[in-house]
Amino acid sequence: MSADQERLIAELVEKGLAGEMDEINAIEDRVLRGKVKAALAKAKRAAKAAAPKEEKLVEESPTDAPPSENPHQKFGKMIEDKFPGSLAAGLNDTHIQLKPNNWFEIAKWLKSEPTLHFDSLQCHTGMDVGENMLEARYNLHSMTHDHYIEIRIAVSRDNAKIPSTEQIWRIGDWFERETYDMLGIHFEGHRDHRRMLLPEDWEGYPLRKDYEVQETYHGIVVPKVKEGWE
Amino acid sequence: MTVDQLFNWLNTLVPAMENSGLLLVVAILIPCLALFLVVAVNAIVMVYAERKVSAFMQDRMGPMGQGVGLHAGKWGLLQTVADALKLLTKEDIIPEKADKFLFILAPFVIFIGAFVAIIAVPFGETVIVADFNIGIFYILAMGSLGVIGLILAGWSSNNKWSLYGGMRSAAQIVSYEIPAGLSLIVVIMLTETLSMQGIIQYQEGGMFNWIIFSNPFAFVAFFIYFISVVAETNRTPFDIPEAESELVGGFHTEYSGMRWSFFFLSEYANMLVVSAVGAAGFLGGWHSPIPGYFDSNGWGVFWMLSKIVFLIFVMMWFRWTFPRLRVDQLMNICWKVFLPISLINIFGVGFWTLIFG
Amino acid sequence: MGVVHGEEMVLNIGPQHPSTHGVLRLKVKTDGEIISEITPVIGYLHRCFEKHCENVTYDQVIPYTDRCDYLAAMANNFGYVVAVEELMELKVPEKVEYIRVIMAEFQRIASHLLALGVYGLDIGAFTPFLFMLRDRERILDMFEMTCGARLLYNYMWVGGVSHDLPKGFVETAFQFLDYFEPQIEEYNNLLTHNKIFVERTADIGVLPPEVAISYGVSGPNLRASGVQWDLRRNSPYSIYDKFEFDVPVGDGGKGTLGDCWDRYYVRMLEVRESVKILRQALAQMPKDGDVHQALPKKIRPPKGSIYSRTETPRGDLGFYIESDGSPIPSRVKMRSPAFTALAVLGELAGGWMMSDVISILGSLDIVLGEIDR
Repeated sequence: MSADQERLIAELVEKGLAGEMDEINAIEDRVLRGKVKAALAKAKRAAKAAAPKEEKLVEESPTDAPPSENPHQKFGKMIEDKFPGSLAAGLNDTHIQLKPNNWFEIAKWLKSEPTLHFDSLQCHTGMDVGENMLEARYNLHSMTHDHYIEIRIAVSRDNAKIPSTEQIWRIGDWFERETYDMLGIHFEGHRDHRRMLLPEDWEGYPLRKDYEVQETYHGIVVPKVKEGWE
Repeated sequence: MTVDQLFNWLNTLVPAMENSGLLLVVAILIPCLALFLVVAVNAIVMVYAERKVSAFMQDRMGPMGQGVGLHAGKWGLLQTVADALKLLTKEDIIPEKADKFLFILAPFVIFIGAFVAIIAVPFGETVIVADFNIGIFYILAMGSLGVIGLILAGWSSNNKWSLYGGMRSAAQIVSYEIPAGLSLIVVIMLTETLSMQGIIQYQEGGMFNWIIFSNPFAFVAFFIYFISVVAETNRTPFDIPEAESELVGGFHTEYSGMRWSFFFLSEYANMLVVSAVGAAGFLGGWHSPIPGYFDSNGWGVFWMLSKIVFLIFVMMWFRWTFPRLRVDQLMNICWKVFLPISLINIFGVGFWTLIFG
Repeated sequence: MGVVHGEEMVLNIGPQHPSTHGVLRLKVKTDGEIISEITPVIGYLHRCFEKHCENVTYDQVIPYTDRCDYLAAMANNFGYVVAVEELMELKVPEKVEYIRVIMAEFQRIASHLLALGVYGLDIGAFTPFLFMLRDRERILDMFEMTCGARLLYNYMWVGGVSHDLPKGFVETAFQFLDYFEPQIEEYNNLLTHNKIFVERTADIGVLPPEVAISYGVSGPNLRASGVQWDLRRNSPYSIYDKFEFDVPVGDGGKGTLGDCWDRYYVRMLEVRESVKILRQALAQMPKDGDVHQALPKKIRPPKGSIYSRTETPRGDLGFYIESDGSPIPSRVKMRSPAFTALAVLGELAGGWMMSDVISILGSLDIVLGEIDR
């Protein structure tokens, strides 16, 4: 590779990092374009690896930092102020990790508090996060204030119980039934706690990572997923 | 040609057996056979017409065969024949838990109701099986026989949808009989006869002598009559007993094959009858619209048939244009709108004849 | 007037029924014609979409999304690829964005046409249904022209689209729009303002805005209740911020705000808005550009999760994707708009008559493929 080319690549990568992909995309020579893109990806990765460090710094001294605009930080702190000890983990930019025990009260407050007014449960789902833990995730949205947060509640498999929010957001009824159906998280206080999509007598919870399909269902052999089918 | 005339004619034809019972039976059977042909041909033509009419209204071609064979004939002319063949060869299913006897009986009851009514329908000055002196009354009576069959069909199927259909149709048909009947009373008051031929003869002398144009009350009565009979024959927008999107098929959900097609034979026969009564009662029957022209016997049949066809076409037009009413709206219209108006009509016509008649 | 109470009967509407729009079962308690309680039972069409997603790579998920909402496959593709691109922080070329918007809007028209037509069919009007299918057919022809498929396209890929627009597409599209716009008037004359249709739909199944929001109802159903909420406007994704269009909301034109007629009519108005967007997009679209140039070699989003929403013809389609850094998604959750729309049925339809239940169900415009996944 000539020094000329190298310089060109370096130049283009710089531009690419600034978001100007058009020039890179306009390169006629496919080999050169590939090289530029590879270099760009590398540079981006490096930039990203550097980024979290800065975040950590902020976290270490939360009191001195200016009030963050990130809704998870802001509302997480509000929840912590109102319900001390309900946060299961430190604040971050992507979600608020809560403990299950007083989730119902928090949810009620989140909806009724005028400055928050999370009137819409956009999405609710469960995850098998491994290490014998299941996690319920709530994507809340406020139609009036147009802000949005994600709340995660982790419970262990052996005691997978989370208070139901069905009476707060009515759609929680079906969402929670589906999560129960798929992951076996029990929602306490749900008034119609049944399976949603699968038949009532189905065994196991399919979206758990260690799920094994039952052999037969009412005498019908359940087909196994073929090996190496990906 | 009535049965009496036919009997007399047969008597002169076979003098050896004059006035014997056999000749009478023959004299009765011949018109019956002819009527059966009328009903069958009517169904064949109407099914085809309905397909084509709906197709043209919906920007389609409808059945379009390319020749004889599997293609249902030129312009799909043989479509109905193919339909009939299909229905004849289809498996006839009777649900296990149905009331078998009533289940089998129901289509025939409906069919007989429609079929028997045609006896008193005049198709021309001389083309009528029996000109009773209570013709119009007889047709109304026979027309309402069908509802028994509908209830039987709905109940005996042992299916909730059918039951719904049966109950709805009972309510609907019984209700709409009343405005239809009251509207015909207007006709009877004007003509002072119950005989179908008598009613038609009253309207002689051009279209302005037709009952529909004879006075404003009769004009209104015609429309009430027509809408009521559309409801009586279970056609859209009043097809709630068989409302496909709600009741699957209503009273005929469980029927298949030929039994099912009997419902349709009778539906089309019913349409024929009610249109004929409408044509005879309000539109001058076999009279030509222009007095003195095209007024011969043959033209009479033409005029009668074209009036019937026109009314049937309007029914099809309704069906492919309108959405369906809800059952309570249907009842509201009947009891709160049509019934009072028809009662007013009767008084109105009475006063009209008193003053102008 | 006294109300006579008879014996209650449990009736199953579905799973095989002409107007459940798929294999849906409604367990209904009836007292004669009056429905006292209604419970939707779903799952008959469950095809393990989310479980499948845990076993295939990111790009292999796209054909599955087609099959969820099979009447708006383009919009579902769109929703998924937008989510993955957001997760990967991938920027796609402008031309691709335009093509996607054009396809999504055509899909919206096609889907709404079917919804409106079938709604007419539910009410008992057959002819409008065929009129609308006739015009939908022309949109499907254009899709076929573009990617060869008529129903399930697999057209949008992560980072691009599968095929560039074919020669003559823009002209065909303009021709279609010129033909189509006057047709809307015809539909209105034939069905929207029909007296019987209005009688059957106005004041029926009124959905108050608070209930709608609490149930997560979205899209035209929510807007019909008077809530001005459209993701294309409120949180624009792709290039929707470049177009001028109105967000039609229900106004109780023939009855109460949020009744069946409003839900129907909002869709009709939205078709007009889509035509508006399409005209702008087709005119502004860059002529050249490679639709494949931004396709990543291997789709390996960084570790993390994303919840991304797009506006499909049926409402907010959310994809919750959790990535563990491997080429296979750890979890894909599809929050389908029809799911929430069906959930509200039990609340909406109690106390109405049998025919009204069909009318309410039809007005929600559900697709069972998306509900059961």
